[in-house]
Amino acid sequence: MILTIGIQAILAVIMISFVFSLAALHTWIERKQSALMQDRIGANRAWIRLPWWWARPINWLLQPFNVLGLFHPIADAIKMFMKEDYIPPASNKFLHTLAPCLSLFFALVGFAAIPFGNTIAIGGHVINLQVANINVALLYIFAMASMGVYGVVLGGFSSNNNYAVLGGLRASAQMLSYEIVIGLTIMGIVMIYGSLNLQELVRAQGSYLFGWIPLWGVLLQPVGFLLFLAAGIAETKRIPYDAPEGESEIVGYFVEYSGMKFGMFFFTDYLETIMIACLATTLFFGGWQVPYLAASGFLFPWGAALALPPLAVSLLQILSFILKVLFFCWLFMTIRWTLPRFRYDQLLRLGWHYMFPLALANLFITAVIVLWVLS
Amino acid sequence: MPTLKIDGKEITVEKGTTIIRAAEQLGVEIPHYCYHPGLSIAGNCRMCLVEVEKMPKPQIACHIQCLDGMVVHTQTKSVQKLREHILEFLLVNHPLDCPVCDQAGECRLQDYYMKHGLYDSRLNENKVKKSAKAVPIGPTIMLDSERCILCSRCVRFTDEISKTGEFGIFNRGDHSEIGIYPGRELDNKYSGNVADICPVGALTDRDFRFKCRVWYLAKTESICPGCARGCNITVEANLERPHHANGERIMRLKPRFNGEVNDWWMCDAGRYGYKFIDHDRLLEPLIRNQGTVQTTGWNDIVEEVIKSLKGVLKKSKDELAVLVSPEMTNEELYLAKKLFVKELGLERVLLLRTKADGDQDDLLIRSDKHPNRKGAEWIGFEESKRAIQEVIDQGLKGGLKGLILFGQDLAALYPGRNVEDLLQRLDVSVFVGSNHNLTSEHVQFILPAATYAEKNGTFTNFQGRVQRIREAIPPAGQSKAESEILTLFADHLKLDWSYENEEQIFDSLRRSVPQFQGMNYSKIGREGVPVE
Amino acid sequence: MGAVVIRTKVVQRPELNFWERLYFPEVFRGVWLTSTHFFKNLTLHAFHALGLFRRIAAAVTIQYPEQLWKLPSRSRTRHRLTKREDGSPRCVACMMCETVCPARCIYIVAEEHPDPHIEKRPRSFTIDLGKCVYCGFCVEACPEDAIRMDTKIIDTSAYSREGMVLDIKELLNPTGVPKTL
Repeated sequence: MILTIGIQAILAVIMISFVFSLAALHTWIERKQSALMQDRIGANRAWIRLPWWWARPINWLLQPFNVLGLFHPIADAIKMFMKEDYIPPASNKFLHTLAPCLSLFFALVGFAAIPFGNTIAIGGHVINLQVANINVALLYIFAMASMGVYGVVLGGFSSNNNYAVLGGLRASAQMLSYEIVIGLTIMGIVMIYGSLNLQELVRAQGSYLFGWIPLWGVLLQPVGFLLFLAAGIAETKRIPYDAPEGESEIVGYFVEYSGMKFGMFFFTDYLETIMIACLATTLFFGGWQVPYLAASGFLFPWGAALALPPLAVSLLQILSFILKVLFFCWLFMTIRWTLPRFRYDQLLRLGWHYMFPLALANLFITAVIVLWVLS
Repeated sequence: MPTLKIDGKEITVEKGTTIIRAAEQLGVEIPHYCYHPGLSIAGNCRMCLVEVEKMPKPQIACHIQCLDGMVVHTQTKSVQKLREHILEFLLVNHPLDCPVCDQAGECRLQDYYMKHGLYDSRLNENKVKKSAKAVPIGPTIMLDSERCILCSRCVRFTDEISKTGEFGIFNRGDHSEIGIYPGRELDNKYSGNVADICPVGALTDRDFRFKCRVWYLAKTESICPGCARGCNITVEANLERPHHANGERIMRLKPRFNGEVNDWWMCDAGRYGYKFIDHDRLLEPLIRNQGTVQTTGWNDIVEEVIKSLKGVLKKSKDELAVLVSPEMTNEELYLAKKLFVKELGLERVLLLRTKADGDQDDLLIRSDKHPNRKGAEWIGFEESKRAIQEVIDQGLKGGLKGLILFGQDLAALYPGRNVEDLLQRLDVSVFVGSNHNLTSEHVQFILPAATYAEKNGTFTNFQGRVQRIREAIPPAGQSKAESEILTLFADHLKLDWSYENEEQIFDSLRRSVPQFQGMNYSKIGREGVPVE
Repeated sequence: MGAVVIRTKVVQRPELNFWERLYFPEVFRGVWLTSTHFFKNLTLHAFHALGLFRRIAAAVTIQYPEQLWKLPSRSRTRHRLTKREDGSPRCVACMMCETVCPARCIYIVAEEHPDPHIEKRPRSFTIDLGKCVYCGFCVEACPEDAIRMDTKIIDTSAYSREGMVLDIKELLNPTGVPKTL
């Protein structure tokens, strides 16, 4: 019992540290990737260099970090913590403080249900590489994501600032609208694989079409995937769906936040991005699945085989998961630095007039096929 | 009464009027340097040349008297050409040091060059250098004969107005220059005027020199408070660029024409007597309590003063004396009378000078150095030496409990008497004034007052002419005009005065003092109203 | 007088075609464009790190302050006061620049010059760079060529407002003139 709890705790720590470091790295990725996309160099001024002569080897090791600007996230964090934590006098202090905590909390807990690897057997213990193996993991994740709206709305309302309220209202309308689309697109996947358990869903994507095409969700639900991507970005409130923030017009629901409380909202954005990346990976890109990698090693469709120890297989699978997540993060970042912002009315029209009917149609057709063609 | 035409406009003028005067009445400007309405006619600058029909050559408008049927042209091509050439001659030896010249900005050479000159220089020869630049020729005036155009205004001024005759023109032709007769100094009582009348930068004011450029100055029409003459002046202040002259605000005073009072002139004592406005000022209400001085707010100090006064008044009205001064405006004196005599019922509200009598001459200077003695008399304050002596005697004996002073430095006025001792014995001593002095160092309550440049009001000069002073600069620090201070007292005494400005005070003044009947601020205007 | 004719020009707004209205293809086109830059620059940076293809720039930006841009010769930079041969300022404190300055950032206090042929000189000449708008009017207005804006100093920074104020000593001998130009 204690062992199980311990293992789960370790898994949780691994997941949280992975997610946190990836989110922190996102600030760096954001800067560097946008710089590369725009023929710039990007932030590279936060250097750590020790002044003593004996520290030269350390400096030599630190040099690439310095040049790449990898210490900027640390500098950012220091700045966020050192800044004055300003609470507007006319605001509701309790809610004002609670809002970013809620946001961050609900963005984090969703990760518990994401499987980042298959089961792994260590010393007789079979460990499922998932913090919480929940039967209705998908529902859980969406429940948590929906709760995230509260942070945003509370942040907007408690600030006692018109712009913040506007941002909060926009954010809630947008998140509610697009959550429906996400839900509908995912129902397609759920129907096909017949499970709400994410680990089951990932395992189900391990089969092959014609014996060689990995049967990932994206192949079965291409329209669903695109809709999921589009709606998923809307959930993160990042460009082109950043009307709730809209730096150039209303600044958004966090206009009255400073210091680390603002940092928590900021962090939530990145966490949500990673969350959507994880979900896209899990639902549509086979999660931790590596093509042609079975429990015993690679089994290529042309007959060749490569035996691997179980630990290596597990590591490959985890690596596969991480790479897929990183790919999606990159994709989201590229989209964020390519597209302009939707106007607020365009945004809602897109959600309700186009994506919602499309998602419905997709679901209907999927249902028809699943019901009559496959069975 | 000849009738003539200038530039097509007909005008009838008095016999003997010159063309330049007639043109002035018509609003036609004829450029001139040597002509000055207050001086004799020299006719040497030739700038005012105009064409007169049936006269063979152009004529100087400053000298030719108007005749019936004359037709004068001031704007023809040939007149304009003439002006251009005259300017070219005048500027042949004039140095190009406008950037360092104090006159720049109010220089006739500059103005007329921009208006009538605008030729390209044809001068290839070197300019004739006159004697050294920037020579102080007296305590007030700096001479730069290089800049001089030899209009001789200054020579005529010292000959005709001040009648001191220090100036002369020396040497001949190209080398002639103005100067002071050997062994003499330009130190007459009206020397500052030569800087005013000099149309160029040859004579500049040493006091104003390099303090500030003239285009920074904000000009306000006012009255000189230096003596009973009440010369009309312009207060020229630099408020926007306080870094000049160490934050002094008043830069200079200039006389303003008033044919009834001072013509175009003012004396040096008045001209340079503005320093007290920006120096040694009392800036905030002070309460002195057993040697320690404490700054306070207006409401607090007025409350305190009233409390102490009431304490004195409870016992006897004889033991409180108020000394008003002939430096206060009519409005302030009226309010003082209203407050202390009518409302508080005091008997000893006396007029006391602030300055000793001085010299007098038959041009402008009056021996009485106060601007408003006549007004004070009309309002009902007659200065009586005996009454003042009584107050001082009573005070030294300890019979006086309260004294309110309006700017008088008792210690300086009565050096023989032990004024410090007198002030020590009082229960309440109040000083309402603008500057530090010996007396203000010993009183209990100091109420900082505004100077004449910081308030509105009227003075009545020795001729009985009521003239306006205007607020040129805001009161220094927290100081307030006496009228405002008195109104504040009235407010704290719960009297229903409701004066919002000096004009309203004057309105009720004119109703109660017969001499002011029928006057108001717009009638007084720029030049004042005489009382017959 | 005829009727007033307001001339109008009808601006043709570009109409979106079917594919553009679909939005998704356009998204891909945009992402394609930015991604090509991303991967090209990423590759170049990687090569640069290995010491290859240094000639091909991976970024168009100038790495200030290590790299300095060659300023055009007419560019208006920080002010300086020119000197006479004896090293004293040419300025005669005529206040032309102070007068013309639209930002009112010049403060001159004049005093008597010992040489009566110069007459006037500045006792203090102060420019508050925190207020200066670099319009160059002071240079235009100066009758003595006493003030110029050619120091090529463009990086003006201070930790306080007072730090932005240059006195006459600093203006006569500007510190921080970039050496590489």
